[in-house]
Amino acid sequence: MAGTKSALVLCMDVGFSMSNSAPGEEPPFELAKKVIQKFVQRQVFAENKDELALVLFGTDSTKNPLDRDGQYQNITVHRHLMIPDFELLEEIENQVHPESQQADWMDALVVCMDLLQTETKGKKFDRLNVALLTDLSTQANQDHLDVIIENLKQAGITLQFFLPFPAEDDEEGGGDSDRRGPGHPGTGKGLSREQKESLDLVKHVMLSLDEEDGLDQVYTFRDAIEQLCMFKRIERRPMAWPCQLTIGSCLSIRIVGYKAVTEERLKKMWVTVDAQSNQKEDVKRETVYCLDDDNETEVKKDDTIQGFRYGSDIVPFSKVDQDQMKYKHDGKCFAVLGFTKQNLVRRHQFMGSQVVKMFAPKDDEHAGVALSALIRALDELQMVAIVRYAYDRRSNPQVGAAFPCVKQDYECLMYVQLPFMEDLRQFTFPSLENNKKLSPSDTQLSAVDSLIDSMMLVQKDDDDADQKDIFKVHHIPNPAFQRHFQCLHHRAVNPGTPLPPMEPWLKAALERPDVISERCQAPLEEIKRKFPLIEVEKKKKLKTSAQIFGKDAEEPDAKKAKGDEEEDYNLADIAEGSVTSVGSVDPARDFRTLIKLKSLPFGEVCQQLTHRIEQLLSNKNTHYYMKSITCIQAFREQSVKFLVVEEKKEEAAVPSAEDTGDVDDLLDMM
Amino acid sequence: MKSKRKESNLEVVRSVYTSKIISSHRDLVALVFYGTEQSKNPRNSFKYVYVYHDLDEPGAKRVQEVDALRGEKGARLAAETMGSGETSLGDALWCCANLYSDIKLRLSHKRLMIFTCRDEPHRGDSAKDRQARTKASDLKETGVIIDLMHLMKPGGFDVAPFFRDIVSQPEDESELGLHLEPCDKLEDLQKRVRAKEQKKRAMARLNLCLGEGINVAVGIYATAVTARKPAAIRLYRETNEPVRSKTRTFHMQTGSLLLPSEIKKAQTYGKKQIVMERDEVDSIKKFQDPGLYLIGFKPMEKLKTHHHIRPAVFLYPEEGEVKGSACLFSALLMKCSERNVFALCRCVSRRNYPPRFVALVPQREEVDEGKVQFTPPGFNVIYLPYADDLRTLDPPQCPSASQIQVDKMKEIVSKLRFKYRSEAFENPVIQQHYRNLEALALDMMAPEDTEDLIMPKVDQINHRLGPLAEEFKDLVYPAGYNPESKSVAKRKTGVAEKKPKAEVPEDELRAHVQNGTLGKLTVPVLKEACKQFGVRTTGTKKQELIDALTTRLAA
Repeated sequence: MAGTKSALVLCMDVGFSMSNSAPGEEPPFELAKKVIQKFVQRQVFAENKDELALVLFGTDSTKNPLDRDGQYQNITVHRHLMIPDFELLEEIENQVHPESQQADWMDALVVCMDLLQTETKGKKFDRLNVALLTDLSTQANQDHLDVIIENLKQAGITLQFFLPFPAEDDEEGGGDSDRRGPGHPGTGKGLSREQKESLDLVKHVMLSLDEEDGLDQVYTFRDAIEQLCMFKRIERRPMAWPCQLTIGSCLSIRIVGYKAVTEERLKKMWVTVDAQSNQKEDVKRETVYCLDDDNETEVKKDDTIQGFRYGSDIVPFSKVDQDQMKYKHDGKCFAVLGFTKQNLVRRHQFMGSQVVKMFAPKDDEHAGVALSALIRALDELQMVAIVRYAYDRRSNPQVGAAFPCVKQDYECLMYVQLPFMEDLRQFTFPSLENNKKLSPSDTQLSAVDSLIDSMMLVQKDDDDADQKDIFKVHHIPNPAFQRHFQCLHHRAVNPGTPLPPMEPWLKAALERPDVISERCQAPLEEIKRKFPLIEVEKKKKLKTSAQIFGKDAEEPDAKKAKGDEEEDYNLADIAEGSVTSVGSVDPARDFRTLIKLKSLPFGEVCQQLTHRIEQLLSNKNTHYYMKSITCIQAFREQSVKFLVVEEKKEEAAVPSAEDTGDVDDLLDMM
Repeated sequence: MKSKRKESNLEVVRSVYTSKIISSHRDLVALVFYGTEQSKNPRNSFKYVYVYHDLDEPGAKRVQEVDALRGEKGARLAAETMGSGETSLGDALWCCANLYSDIKLRLSHKRLMIFTCRDEPHRGDSAKDRQARTKASDLKETGVIIDLMHLMKPGGFDVAPFFRDIVSQPEDESELGLHLEPCDKLEDLQKRVRAKEQKKRAMARLNLCLGEGINVAVGIYATAVTARKPAAIRLYRETNEPVRSKTRTFHMQTGSLLLPSEIKKAQTYGKKQIVMERDEVDSIKKFQDPGLYLIGFKPMEKLKTHHHIRPAVFLYPEEGEVKGSACLFSALLMKCSERNVFALCRCVSRRNYPPRFVALVPQREEVDEGKVQFTPPGFNVIYLPYADDLRTLDPPQCPSASQIQVDKMKEIVSKLRFKYRSEAFENPVIQQHYRNLEALALDMMAPEDTEDLIMPKVDQINHRLGPLAEEFKDLVYPAGYNPESKSVAKRKTGVAEKKPKAEVPEDELRAHVQNGTLGKLTVPVLKEACKQFGVRTTGTKKQELIDALTTRLAA
């Protein structure tokens, strides 16, 4: 649960037995290492306040606070309780190896308990947990078993075991073994006497901590890896919004709102850094204002004011005036305007990006009853409340609907924003049904009918009580986040290598379920036969450099260059205006004219043009980009001609044409 | 637009101007008077026709010029400048035709409104009537729609004898059955609408893929988008001319502009900076090419009311992209609607957008008595939440209301029933803004009043409820319980005296950095610490402060 904080000790067996494995099987050590790696990864990216410690046992050396008189040997506190980071991940990767000793897992547990107790002093944790990863190959000392269990209970420390084999081997039914797949370690190989004894001990400990579900906290390595492949879903602490629901001025009910559904975004944004130094401090972004004149005269921000368009005019309207004259209201509010039938509020007219659930305050039973009366009344009448909602004084008020929601274990109102008149766009579209040319025939309709039959994602069983939805979107983790963390993790651990392909499980989660794909094969073929679909030929939208510079762009041709000189060249242009430099209105034309006139040296004209191109590119606007493309076209075309002339003169050619790499960059920017 | 000048006509003209300025200021509007003594038109080829405003984008000046003609003073001014003369509607229409043809721009639609209160403008002069009819049909041939905005006159305005042949008749049902908007009535024109008009334009054209090789071309339309105040324009203080803003990225040390290839993107997790190329950042978001991919169908009751994350969009076939799309689309629409199911699709709306799942909810066409469409046929696209988008709440355990209490509330609900219409509520924030702007532009003393339509009509509600409110309260609240009191008390205690400035000793800070526990400190403490170490931070977000401190103290 978001907002709570836990302290966790990962306690991993690195003793020599952990490296033993049947041929073709991964040793338990490797599996256990994967479990903790996956777990720590998730913690690092979840960025919550949970703290983590790592204790290894079976190590060659001994390093723990309880190391005294030859007790608690071969146990190493590798990392003390702190927020996990990449350093820890790297340490696990590079420093956690199989070692050659064995240690008592019960001793290791005691070290972990001690660590939790001393290192959480003065801090507030909602949960203390020890996760033990071991193959249980050592004989455990049971002398203080009762004391240990008592201490665990008192300190509120929970336990989890991760083992190479399932805890309840004998009970394993047919259904479960399918999921575990073949070659599950432990099922093929008999357990040693120590392992059997230890397993009994584990069961005893777990059941004494939790009589009913204790054994649910004993996992196999493989199951754990499978479950940990997903990055944690984003959790946020729900923020309470206390308010009063009012009906007129005489009736009010205390309520508390919580955002229940909203499009979650990643907490972190990308920062721009310099490509060489990777430092964000090296990059500065700056916005400047300039007049729309030839020199693009810059003006200071303080010398600007704001205005708004009023038809063909722009009316200066300063921020201060605007704030003074703007719509003001009384702040926080949830006031009923009236009640209406639910079906008059159309689902597709829901606005905003959230659903807020309104409950009664936790400590106010009377408000609970009053709110319940309203919720049930609306539910029974199939009606909703239309309300004015304002989050606070600073935010704009909304109009919205409060739907009744009656669930088995709770009741609430669900608030959704509705549109204002200004938000609606009443478009009309040509009728589909009243058009004889378009209306489908009966056979076409029945083809669609059988397609729908074959693709129903909700299976109705014969006894209609049971409906099974095989594709629940709200159970899928946001694939964008999963992919994002996968790539970040990969880059952090394997710098310099290309990003990995998408995880297969993620890919599969976004696809049509296999059952459906199989079932709909035939109906789809039928649809294909019954509905001819012909793609209308269209010009390609993507531009390549060849299209911009013409098909001859690849090999400049002397002949072509000569021919060009005659066309798109107008004497009147030259006569009319005296072009003395490359202006900003039509830089390409000015450039051509100047080259033709030869009034300035070629290099200088080129420089002027380049300057204009740079100016154009500093504007984030397609129009300016297009203009700069015409400039580059002109630049290229004139440079080619220039080269041809120069070559004729048998002088050294001046390399001046821009290479296509820059053009590609330019296209990328659009 | 032409008008026989008259006070009420001018009022409508003004209203048309002010509405146009806000709804679609790019539209060109002209104001032409006919039956004037003076003539003023492009080549002065028409007598008794006065082009008061040429076809152009309207602005504040025009509204003020119309205002100048109003009232007694205005009437005098009008008499001086234009006077009153012979009427020839034919000449006026011809003049308007010239105004249209003088415009070099391609106009998407042309409309001419005749304001008059005379049903026989030429008093039976059949030659003039004939000329007017000819000119009107010429205009209509060039695609101009002619509307008549007649005012009441004693004895009633009879459209039939003369104007029936002048105005455009509502078109017959075209092949696709598209109904044109009915002519706005004069009252509609007088009603001021302050909302920006939106052109119907597809946000995207995509393929709806049912299976291998079965692609239906569809267009996505936004039918409800949160309207905002129009964006401010930055002006140079000295001259009030608009300035352009340029944002550039440059290197702090060298001062040179950075090309896109010279920057990378980074995020920090677990005290490690992870760097990627810009195109890698884009490629992470790419799953599939844009399009809709059918997963399957579900019964409508599986679409939960609370599964709402953003406004819906609308889907309509694009026959121009893939021929046959409309037929298959129509068949899907009919069947989904008939069987009360929705189609579940995976949707990538643009290049490099991660996928979202959407419900395509069928919507059949609905028309009113006048056969005018009020619900278009197509699918509404409802965006569905992922697991991350649902928050875990801890609902309080509360007792439920008894049936008596519920029934009392039912009485209250019934008393306050109304018929909800989505277009009934104006946004007071935007309305106020437009009125303020109008007041400034037209040098008015004060902006027009805005009626806040989303304010509860408290008196009316109280009156309708009568004793019901008290009766309900007696049923649910114990004596002395005041739902308003507690939160007030809380607010008072909330305003505690300001805490003294918090400072954390350096070694403690370093320890936090070491353990990665800086997050435990509050923002003001972190800010103070930043100051203490001279760390300059650009942002005020907690994470930014933590990052800044970490880099400084870890170094």
